[in-house]
Amino acid sequence: MDTNWNSTDKDPGGALEQFVAEEVREAVEAGKGVKVLRPGGRVKAPAGFLAFFLGMTLALSALGAVGNRIAWERDPSPRWEWDWQETDAFRDEVSHYLREFLTIGAGGTVDFYGGAYYWDGGYNGAVVEQEAIRTWWGFGQAAEATRVDQGTLEPVPPAEPETEKETEKEPDAAYQADKNVLYYIRNGEIKNGKVYSNMDAGLDKLLARSVEGYNFYLQFVDGRVSIFKDGQTLDVYGDGYYDGDSRWFVPGYDNFPAGEQLEGVKVVMAVRETPIPYYSADYKTGGTSYYSGFYSLARQVKESRSFYYTQGLLLFIAMWCLVVWFLLRKSTEPVNRKIASWTLPIWTEIRFLAGLLLAAGLFSGLAPGELYYALRDAFVWESGYGDLWMGLARLVLLNFPTLVVLFWFCWLIHNDHKHNSKEVRRSLLRALFRSLRARDLKRPVEKRLSRSGGLVLLVLLAGFVLSLFPMAVLVNFVRTYPGIWEVCLLLLACLLEVLLVWALYCAWRSRGLARDIAALADQVEAVRAGDLERPLILPEDADLRQTAERLNDIQAGMKAALAEQTRSERMKVELVSNVSHDLKTPLTSILSYAELLRQEDLPPAAADYAKIIDQKAQRLKTMVEDVFDVSKAAADQLPVHLERLDLGKLLRQTLADMDGPIQASALTFKAELPEEPVMITADGRRLYRVFQNLLDNALRYALEGSRVYLRLKTAEGTAEASVRSTSRTELPEGVDFTARFVRGDSSRTDGGSGLGLSIAKSFTEACGGSFRVETVADLFTAVVTFPVEGD
Amino acid sequence: MNECILVVDDDPEIVNAIAITLEREGWQVRRAYDGLQAVDQCLDPAVKLILIDVMMPKLDGLSALLRIRERRNLPVIVLSAKSEDTDKILGLSMGADDYVTKPYNPQELIARVRSQLRRYTSLGDVNAEKRQGLLVNGRLTYDPAGRVLRADGDEVKLTPTETKIVDLLFRHPGQVFPAEEIYRRVWNEDAFSCENTVMVHIRRIREKIELNPKEPDYIKVVWGIGYKLEQHG
Repeated sequence: MDTNWNSTDKDPGGALEQFVAEEVREAVEAGKGVKVLRPGGRVKAPAGFLAFFLGMTLALSALGAVGNRIAWERDPSPRWEWDWQETDAFRDEVSHYLREFLTIGAGGTVDFYGGAYYWDGGYNGAVVEQEAIRTWWGFGQAAEATRVDQGTLEPVPPAEPETEKETEKEPDAAYQADKNVLYYIRNGEIKNGKVYSNMDAGLDKLLARSVEGYNFYLQFVDGRVSIFKDGQTLDVYGDGYYDGDSRWFVPGYDNFPAGEQLEGVKVVMAVRETPIPYYSADYKTGGTSYYSGFYSLARQVKESRSFYYTQGLLLFIAMWCLVVWFLLRKSTEPVNRKIASWTLPIWTEIRFLAGLLLAAGLFSGLAPGELYYALRDAFVWESGYGDLWMGLARLVLLNFPTLVVLFWFCWLIHNDHKHNSKEVRRSLLRALFRSLRARDLKRPVEKRLSRSGGLVLLVLLAGFVLSLFPMAVLVNFVRTYPGIWEVCLLLLACLLEVLLVWALYCAWRSRGLARDIAALADQVEAVRAGDLERPLILPEDADLRQTAERLNDIQAGMKAALAEQTRSERMKVELVSNVSHDLKTPLTSILSYAELLRQEDLPPAAADYAKIIDQKAQRLKTMVEDVFDVSKAAADQLPVHLERLDLGKLLRQTLADMDGPIQASALTFKAELPEEPVMITADGRRLYRVFQNLLDNALRYALEGSRVYLRLKTAEGTAEASVRSTSRTELPEGVDFTARFVRGDSSRTDGGSGLGLSIAKSFTEACGGSFRVETVADLFTAVVTFPVEGD
Repeated sequence: MNECILVVDDDPEIVNAIAITLEREGWQVRRAYDGLQAVDQCLDPAVKLILIDVMMPKLDGLSALLRIRERRNLPVIVLSAKSEDTDKILGLSMGADDYVTKPYNPQELIARVRSQLRRYTSLGDVNAEKRQGLLVNGRLTYDPAGRVLRADGDEVKLTPTETKIVDLLFRHPGQVFPAEEIYRRVWNEDAFSCENTVMVHIRRIREKIELNPKEPDYIKVVWGIGYKLEQHG
């Protein structure tokens, strides 16, 4: 019949194939664009993450570096002036020069100690020799508050032969070699005044402010200063009063006039646009000194400029990286998850330690004293030492590369916590705690073993830790007093220690053994409960591996035996099924012809014979059907259709259905059925057959004129239906009435198949109930029990 | 009548027995002994009904049934030793009009044959009946307006109580009614141990409409719940 179906379906099948092929081709063509995108998707995630990593790292390091530079004031002020001649430091230096030149102009001598006013952040004040100078360099009252320390005035040490010579030198000897400053100092009138200069020729160019390579000129004439830069005249005095905001610290303000000694002194100085480094002799020590205040200032400003340019560029790149990341942020999730899976096995304790180390690393650049000052700056701000936020910023920004690392550390922790649940994260402490607690272990064997093992482990661990102290003492002792006995003692102690560690290891491993034993116990329980599918797989190196394999063998053997048994049961059912079919065919002929025979006009005796043939053939038919049912039920292959039904109603229906034969019999049926429904779950048709058989049984074997009781009772969640009858014949002792082909009357002449009770039992059990037969003397009781369904 | 019936079975004695039974009722009988012969013979327009066995050599009954269905539209009754529900469902869903298990009851078989023949020859198009507001269920037709029940076209004589029960069941085919419900609706009284009363009436209705009252096709007991009218195609 299959071939028939196929042949009729052939055409639509072909059309379908064609349709599918077309669909597929279209999908492939449309999918070409998609195909290009697909590998892009694979690239997206790492690219997005890379952008995030680069962006965050660059941005943080750039911001950190800038913040560090600003917080720790590593720049010449003001920080944002990129022309070095616009810096405060430059102005300080120029005013310093002017002061010196005015000292010389006023007739004093200037000695110079190597260091510049601005020597990479250091400050060495020049020593002004003459008392008289102080008078002109004195400040007005208003300026006093903002006065900078000028250093100390010291008397010139007693003249020695060498220094005698020096004193004979020109007062401006210290500045003669200056390569970055040109000066012209004149005292007195133009004609006979004393003139100092480090220029041999081209003085007129200096006075005309047009020396090549020099763009800054300062002129002091008549107690006032004028400054020219790049040909422009700068505003020096502002509103004429010197205060904290005034840019130039030079005499000539209303409240800071030039002293009387400076009358008639004229100073012109020029500063090189691009300062150069040079050496000059130190007159005190006879060595050379590197003097390049302007050079180092210019160099620092240039360096600062390139620093800010670089950081700005990095920040710009970082911003774009972050933009890229922002666009791809959805697809970076797999990378985050992957990273989380990498960080998962790291113990919490190690993370904690790493965090501590990193935090310590933040301040590693600080000497203990500095840390103290930084902390004081940060926290004791109310005492006037510093600004809280600045102090904190300085502390935090001290070691900004560590800060970047710390950020990524925090991100990793966050990522880990986001993707890994608390349960899977590993913690040594938690593991130890758990192994000791053992409360959440389900299996009692494991709980017991684990508890005792945990205690041993704890004691051994404590012993080991404690034993380290005497060990240290011993080692120290042996080092101090080396000797053969002492060394032997030490070796013995070492051996003991090794033994202790080994015991520790064994105790740790026995935890695994406990787990294996528990697994083995579980498996035995599972096999007992009938699980023949899952074998127990222990790790290769487990001590119980072999035992587990033996158990698996037993399990496999049982499974094979069961499969064999099931197969033979099925074969048996098939055999019975085939036999009953084969029996039915001739039976059909017998019954048909018996019927035909009965319709024939036969002599009375022949008609009787035909009737008997018909009756026995009918009985044979019943038996064949019963045998088929009972064999199916015995092999658990009876199909049941379970539903909720009222057992009381089923009994009433059965009684009503069998009303005819009951009325025809000489028996009285007494039914005691509750009015309220008794709900059970069963197959109604099968259960009807059960009670039909039981009533049939009573009709067949009960004593004539006796009463048959049909009762239904519910108690403790079970419904119990019983059919009680008085047997017509004596009931034999010790007979299982539910066995097949067993009947009270062994003569086998009644119409039953001997399978009625057997079928009743099998069907009841197939529906999930239980069936039993009780006999007391001639009283025969069949009891069917079902669990009652709650509503 | 004189309709011709094709009997197919690989057992010649059974074919013969059936033939004798049918011929006594006045039908002509053709015999076939395997599926292929059945398919050949069914083309004869004289054949009005087929009785066919399932397990046969060369071509089994169900495959033959499919082929016959491709060629002719006539009632087919499957006659099989397979008595499982699944076998019956399979046979009916493959296109059989009825399913009789072996060993069969000759009287029942004749009744079924007669029923099928009537439906196909006398009654004609079943859809025509539907249009007139009749309730059609297999070989039964119920007219709710006139409260007339017909089986194979013949009117069934029912008492007033039986008519009320039939009316209730036909208006709700497939629905299960507990005995109390039927009692309350039909007798208009509160039900008290009504199971027997209802059952007696149902048994009488069955005797009037079912071909085999012991194995009813239409009014069925749902054990532990109630009674229902099974809907047939």
